[in-house]
This record gives sequence, structure tokens and C-alpha cells, in this order.
Amino acid sequence: MKMKSPTALIPGLYLTLFFAYLFGPLIIMVITAFNSSTFPRVSPWECFTTDWFGKLAADDKLLAGLGNSLLIGVGVVCVAIPIGLAAAITLSQVGPKLRAALYTIFIAPILVPGVVIGLSTLIFWDRIGTLFNAPYESFFYDGTFLTIFGQVTFIAAYSMLVFLSRIQRFDTTLTEAALDMGATPTQAFVKVLLPFMAPAIGSATVLAFLASLENYNTTVFTIVSSSTFTTVLSSKVRYGLDPSISAVAVIIIAITLIGAIIYECRNRYNTKSWALVVAERPALKVATHPGTVAVILGVLALAAVMFIQNHDSNACTAQILEDKRALQQKLMEQQSLNTPQQNVPAPTMPNLGPVGGNEGGASAPSPFGNNIFSPENLGTNTPNDQ
Amino acid sequence: MRDLFYDLVRRNGMAVSIYLMLAVSLWVFILIILPQLTMLDYSFRFNLPPAKIGGPEDVYTLEQYRYFFQGSGASDGLNTLDIGILFKTLLAAVFVTIFDLIICYPVAFVLAKSSTGAKARLLVLALIVPYWINEILRAFAFRILFGATGVINETGMGLGLWDTPIDFIRQDVALYAGLAYAYILLMIFPLYNAIESLDRNQIEAARDMGANWWQVHAKVVIPYAKPGIASGMTMVFMLTSGALAAPQILGGPSNLWFTQLVYQWFNSGGNWPRGSAYAMVLLIVCIALVLLVMRLFKVSIGEIKQ
Amino acid sequence: MTKEISLEHVWVEFGEFTAVHKANLNIAGGEFFSFLGPSGCGKTTLLRCISGFQEPTRGKVKIGGEDMRGVGPNKRPTALIFQNLALFPLRSIADNIAFPLEVRGVSKKNRRKRADELLELIALPGQGDKKVSELSGGQKQRVAIARALAVEPDILLLDEPLSALDLKLRQHMRTELRAIQKQVGLTFIYITHDQGEALTMSDRIAVMNKGKIEQIGDGKAIYDHPTTSFVASFVGENNVLDGTVLSNDGKVMQIDAGLGTPFAVENHPAGGPALAPGDACHLFVRPEALRLSKDESAINQFSTNFVTEEFEGNMRHIVMNASGKDLKLSLINDGTNAIEANAPVKLDFAPGMGIALKPGELASA
Repeated sequence: MKMKSPTALIPGLYLTLFFAYLFGPLIIMVITAFNSSTFPRVSPWECFTTDWFGKLAADDKLLAGLGNSLLIGVGVVCVAIPIGLAAAITLSQVGPKLRAALYTIFIAPILVPGVVIGLSTLIFWDRIGTLFNAPYESFFYDGTFLTIFGQVTFIAAYSMLVFLSRIQRFDTTLTEAALDMGATPTQAFVKVLLPFMAPAIGSATVLAFLASLENYNTTVFTIVSSSTFTTVLSSKVRYGLDPSISAVAVIIIAITLIGAIIYECRNRYNTKSWALVVAERPALKVATHPGTVAVILGVLALAAVMFIQNHDSNACTAQILEDKRALQQKLMEQQSLNTPQQNVPAPTMPNLGPVGGNEGGASAPSPFGNNIFSPENLGTNTPNDQ
Repeated sequence: MRDLFYDLVRRNGMAVSIYLMLAVSLWVFILIILPQLTMLDYSFRFNLPPAKIGGPEDVYTLEQYRYFFQGSGASDGLNTLDIGILFKTLLAAVFVTIFDLIICYPVAFVLAKSSTGAKARLLVLALIVPYWINEILRAFAFRILFGATGVINETGMGLGLWDTPIDFIRQDVALYAGLAYAYILLMIFPLYNAIESLDRNQIEAARDMGANWWQVHAKVVIPYAKPGIASGMTMVFMLTSGALAAPQILGGPSNLWFTQLVYQWFNSGGNWPRGSAYAMVLLIVCIALVLLVMRLFKVSIGEIKQ
Repeated sequence: MTKEISLEHVWVEFGEFTAVHKANLNIAGGEFFSFLGPSGCGKTTLLRCISGFQEPTRGKVKIGGEDMRGVGPNKRPTALIFQNLALFPLRSIADNIAFPLEVRGVSKKNRRKRADELLELIALPGQGDKKVSELSGGQKQRVAIARALAVEPDILLLDEPLSALDLKLRQHMRTELRAIQKQVGLTFIYITHDQGEALTMSDRIAVMNKGKIEQIGDGKAIYDHPTTSFVASFVGENNVLDGTVLSNDGKVMQIDAGLGTPFAVENHPAGGPALAPGDACHLFVRPEALRLSKDESAINQFSTNFVTEEFEGNMRHIVMNASGKDLKLSLINDGTNAIEANAPVKLDFAPGMGIALKPGELASA
């Protein structure tokens, strides 16, 4: 395999390109979070700033949405995990014909578009509510409940797949052995099958929670008048591109990376070969313990937060602003020479305005497609945004 | 049903069996089947104010479906706008699916057959990590990337490849790139699982018997990985055609995705029955397409896995 | 305390397929009883009927005189040792052994005490905190036995528990199992397809084929006096010849097996059903019953030609051909039995060593 021919390099080269596609957009987004330009971009680079994070902390809508999302996430986990587990166990115990039929039904929610699930959930509970003459405040119309129901529909299927791959490796004679030794069927379930499923329950919980947190297609229908982190984020993105969204991404990416690093450390730490390496080096053993790694990362994250809070880029941004004013002045003078009439920048431009705030002069007020943004118009908006 | 329950009780005891039956039937009936049936029912009704629901005017009608085919105008004209959007959506979804298959197959193959142990695990982790990040943010990243002052335009103009910013958003390039990006994982993992279980000896035997590299793939690996390919393609196609976030964020101003029509009828249009009818059209057309392709390639739905 | 078991007309049917065909037998308390048969003969199904995982379609399973219908496996005085042992991989050795006590609500302290006693019994003292994966095959075997004994069963059921072990260990475990059985004095019911295991350990053996019990008896009876063609051909090596009964005076039969002179074969009170003149029969002669004729006038003598020899050290396994029929012959390697490859060799066997049975199904080699 170790030929020095150029063709041997192709897989590596391809993987590099592929991962560039995977990570490139994210890296660029992260960079834009630290540029003081009011439009998220890498160039022209204005000032290094951490102000966008401050703007996030003050964004009540986003924080309220985040609170709802966490609540919904917990609710979804509590409902979807028992359902997924029950479905997987049922599939493992029924005959082949019934299993095939049930599997098709169970798997369907993954394939049905999220939009359809959201819609049908909304209509169904609306109908039920009408049937019982329930007041509008009842849970039939409550965005949080509806979203939990809607998301559970397909997240239960995801968790079922996780459980199914685990239960396929379960040795059913273990249950029989427990029964034979006097355990009741329920005892056999609790003492033999459940402990075996425990790791899968852990990973399914994480998966379900993350899937709930990031879901948009279903949630956007079922959330009704409330909001989640994702729907707030989506309206933010649709109504105006702003580097504070990049700042959100930075935070999420940081959390993700920390999680991934700890996970990977734990895996390496638990390998047999590493156990041999650290067997006689207690210092190394402590240093590479996932707990230690977590603490170090936590301290680093805290340091980053402190830095973000204390970093002051006002001097630089003021300078940039001054330069822009000068440039603008010049442009306006030129324009007034060319045309007698000119557009005066709008006095206020709300950040979450209904029609693309940054799209200055967008003609079609459609909420579905953003118009193309132009840097010139952005420049004129800058003073008003601050 | 009764025999089934007795069998469950014998195996699991009464308490556990009740939990199993209850959880599964709640899911299947309350969360899956009844909502879909209600939506189907709704799509055959007029859009009435709440007061008139259940009244004499609340009768079944094909009006909502007729609208999809013929529009609001005269009865003979076709609703070319909406039908066009459906076709464009499906076509784009097929395009995205094939694109994903082409770029993911080599990655899955390398991952499954050339990497081992820690390296493979790290690569898999690197694949998953981007997908822990919110899909809205992923779409937003592409918006930044492909914007008029985005990195691509700046680089292109900096290198002198083009003079004025190219409008990638209006050209839908950003949308396709973003959609393909969004569902890469759902393509890679079924492929990876399928290829991984292929005995390496089969590949080596084929090489030994004189097959060149593309014959190995065409005659050994791909036929073996067919169920994985089918499930990956099905997932990507269904999710792409049902996507809403990416088209909303990355779609050009004049380019609607079919799900956006459903959203429009529901939210701004306030016409739930029509929204339901459009959703049914999307669902049925997508399923029919998937089943058709599966029949063509002789794969069964039971082989769909994640 | 031990209890006797009786199976009364037990049938087990899975749809069209009959897994157990009218099984009738009694197993006495304290007996080491084996079911021997090829895979798929119904022996495991029968064991599952006794342990309670399978209800018979018809007939009764009685333990200690009580009908067990409707009594679940957890309520029966039996403990089963599974083929794969079914030790719980997530529990420690001690927790495995104490599992039966745990589900009966015995306190943690008493559980531990009993587990330690049982670890003592199986010669693994102080190993209770180890993981299952840290034990060797033989140790796992013993842990499985200890766990079953913790139930304090009246009957221990063993489903081919030695099949996963290597040959040496298997032979060692035979002795050990028999010793444990003697020590605890329980009824052991042992399932195997390995006749060596069945013959060395059991008080009595039931040979099964296709759901039917063919013969029940101690090892010697099964080997020396099989009552059906299946048993004769399944247990031990045997040469089989097709023949016809010429006469039967109640003591000795004359059988024409197509090898020249008719053979004289004794009837035996423990043997199969009596044969009448004119009946077709299978004539069985074990390889060790055939001998080289020292004497021209020996009874049951016939002429053969050398085909091939497999040399095993203490024994020589030789194949000879008699009138187109290959016969196996086992000789002790004591230097007295010279065979010339190219000359005809005369063989004979004693009338008491031939077994004539009604033609029936033969075990496939």
C-alpha cells in the first residue's frame, strides 16, 4: 500500500477538500463574529471586536427563545426516549411479519417532511381542542406542548434506531436465565435488559436533546405565538444579517468543540493501550483524565468570556467610523453634484424590522426571500444601528 | 392483538407490557397516524371561519386540490406557477441528492476501508461535529460565504476571475451548496455502514482477478452497498424536498421552495385547508417518487436505516 | 431435597412440525440423567418443557408429582445452565451468583455471604469482585453452576454446557460435573450430542431422534444392547449389514447377510423386538467385535480384502472389503495382528457380539 505514486495521495487530497467544504463556512462565520463591520464579513477587516457578544447578552428575545428551547428539549427527551425504547423492544419481540409492518410505520416520521409533521400536529390538536371546546389558553393551543408533540413524533424514531442497534446485540438467553433463577419478568426487564440498554439511553438522550434544540421545520408551525432559540435565530437571519448571529455560532461551536474534545479524551483514556502507558505514570494519568481536561477547557472558556467582557474596541471603531463619515461626505458631495435629489438615510432602522433592514431599498417585501444586500447601503445604515 | 399482548406479558410481565403497548400505541396513533389523517381530512374542506366549522357549509370539497392544479383563475388554465415550483423543488432535490452521493461515496469508502481505530473515530467525530451546530447557523454561514461581499466573491474578484460581484443567492448556487451541505451526514452514514460490512477480502479478490479500481467499485462495492445507497438517497431526497430553513435563508427573492408555499398558505395566507392540501401533494409526490425509484433499483423499505 | 420428574405423553408441536413426539419417562430424584441425540432431535425442546420456557402442546410435565402446566420458569424448582452460560456481562462474579437471591429480596449482606460460600464450593474463593470477562472458560463454567445452585433448585438442567470448551477442558469438566453432582446430590438433567459425555457421566441416558425417545437405559445397555437401528448406529461406531432372518430358535438366529455362510447371532433379553424367519434385518457388528480368524473352523467366519488403515497408536483402524461391502475393524496394536495387504484375510465375530434389529433409520455419519 505504501507506494510513492501520485495516485496514493488522491484519497488524502480528497478528504482534505471534503473537510474544507465541511469546516470552511463555519470558520469564516467564526471570523466574522470578531469583525466590527456591521455586516458579517471577513474583508474589509475593520476592527477586532467582541461587542457582538455583548449585543447577544442583551437580546431578550433570543434568551427567552433559548429558555423555551431548553424546556422543550427536556420535554422531548422525557417523552421520546421511553417511546423509542418501547418501540425497539417491541420490534425485537414480535414475529417477522409484524416487525416489518411496524418498522415501516416507525421509520415513516423520519422520512415525512418536518413541515408536514408540524402542520398535521397543529391541525390535529386544534381539532381536538375544538372538539372539547377547550379555551384558547389550554394546552391544545400552547406552542410549547404542540412543539414537544410534533418533535417527539420523529425524534422518537431517531432514538428507536439508536436502541435498535443496541438491542440487536442483546443475548435473549440472559433474560431467560434471569427468569429461570426466579426473577419475575419485570425484574428480568429492570435488572437485565435495562442495564444493558443504559449506554444507548445515554446517547439517545443527547441525540434527542440536540435534535430538539436545532429543529426548525416542524417547530416553526407548532410553536404558534411562542418562540424557540431556532425560530428567533431564523427570524434574525431572515430580517437582517448581523454579526451577532456569528457570535451565536461562535458560542455553539465552542460548546460543541469542548464536548467533542472531552468525548474523544474519554475514549482515548479508556483504551487498553493508554491504560498501559499511564499505569506507571500517575501524573500523566491525572493529567489525561477526562475530568482534568474538562476543567482545563472550562477555565479556558471562562478566560475567553472575561476577555470578551473586558475587551474595548471603541478607539478603533471610532476611527473607522470617522473614516467612513469622511468617505460618505465625499460621496454625498459627488452625488449632489451629479443629481439634485438624493436619498437621505432612514432615521431609524430597527434591527428586527419586518422587511430586510440591511437590504436598503429592497423592492419586494417578501418574507421568504431576502434581497441581495449591497455594501453601499450598509454603510449608510451604520450610524443608525449604534 | 390479544395474542400479541399475551406474548408480551409472558416475556416481560404485566407492568412492562402495559408500558410497551401504551408507549407504542400513543406514538403510532396519537402522534403519527391520527394527525396525518386529520390533515388529510382538512385538505378536503373549505377555509371557513371558526364559527362556521361543523355547520352546513362545512362539507367535503376538492377545491384546495383544484386550486393547486388550476389556480384561482379560469377553470381551464393550469396553475403553472405552483406546479412549476413543485417541479423545480423536486428537480433541485434530485440534483442535491445526486451531488451528495457523488461527493460522499469516496469519503465513506475511504473511511470504511482505509482508516482504522483512532484515526477512523476522529474522522467520524469531525464529520459529526459540524452537525451539532444549528441548521439556521449553517445556512447563515453559506449566506456569508456567498454574499456580494462574501469570501467567494472577494477571492474571485481579487484573483481577477470576475469583475463585478456574482449574485450567487439569486442564481440559487448558495441554496444548492447549503442544502447539499445540510444533509451530507445523512448520506455518509448509511453508505459507511453498508461499505464497512463488506469483507475486505472481496475487494482484494476482485483486484487479484484483474479488476481495475473502477471495476472493483462498479461490480463489487456498489452492488453490495446498494441498500445503504438507497437509504442515504431516500433520506437526503426527502429531507431536501421538505427543507424549509435553508430555502428561507438562502433562496433568491423570486425563487420559492415548495415548502415555502405551504408555509405561506398557513401563516400569511391563513388558509389551513389549502396549506394541508399542498402539504399532502408534497408528501404524496415525494413518497411516490421514492417508491418508484426503489422499485426500479429493487430495494425494499425495510432496508432503510440510519 | 431432590424431586423426581415424570413426563407423561408429552407432545410439542410448532405448527406442522412435531418437535417432541409422545415422550414418556421417569427420572428419579438424585439421578444424573442425559438426553443424547443429534442436533434438532428435540432434546432442547424437552429441556425447555421441564424448565418452563415451553409448554407442551399435549401431555404433562410433573415435578415431585405436581403438574407444572401454567407454572412459569421462575416458579419451578429447576435451574438451567445455558449452552452459552448466559452470565450477566455487566455484573461482577459475586453479583452474578447472588442474582437469584437478589430477585428473591435477600439482603445485600446475606447475598454476599452466600455468594462467597458458593465461590468456595467451585474453588474460586475471593474472586467475587472480578468481571465475567476476566475469567477463563472453565471458570465461567463453574460460576454458571454456582449461580444455578444459589437458586437451591431440586433439579439442575444443563444444556450442552461443555460444548464451547476445548477438548482437554471438556474432559476435565466431565469429572468435575459428576463430582459436584455427587456432592450436592441433586437431580441433574443433561443435554448433549456428545456420546462420550453422556456415557461417562450419566446414570441413565435417553437417546432421541426426530422428536422420539428411541431408548432409555444406562450407558452399558445403550452401547451393548441397542434396541433400534438408530441407537445402534448413533452410539459408537458400528458396521451395518442388510440381512434376512433364516431361522430363530429363541436363543440363536441364523442370518443371511450375503457374505457366504449365514451368521449365528444370539438373541438378548434386553435387545430389540424379536425377529421371525423371513424378516429383513440390520445386522450390526462393532469394529472391536470383529477379529482376525486364528482358526479355520471359527463360527461366523468370512473372507475379506484389505482396503486401507488409519493408525492411531494404541489402536489400528482398518477398513476391509467383504463382497463389495466396506467393514471397519479396530485392533489393539499389540504386535500380534499382522495383515498382508494383497492376500485375502478371514474375519469372524462371536454370536453374542452381533446385534440383529428390525431395519430402521440409521444415524448419518
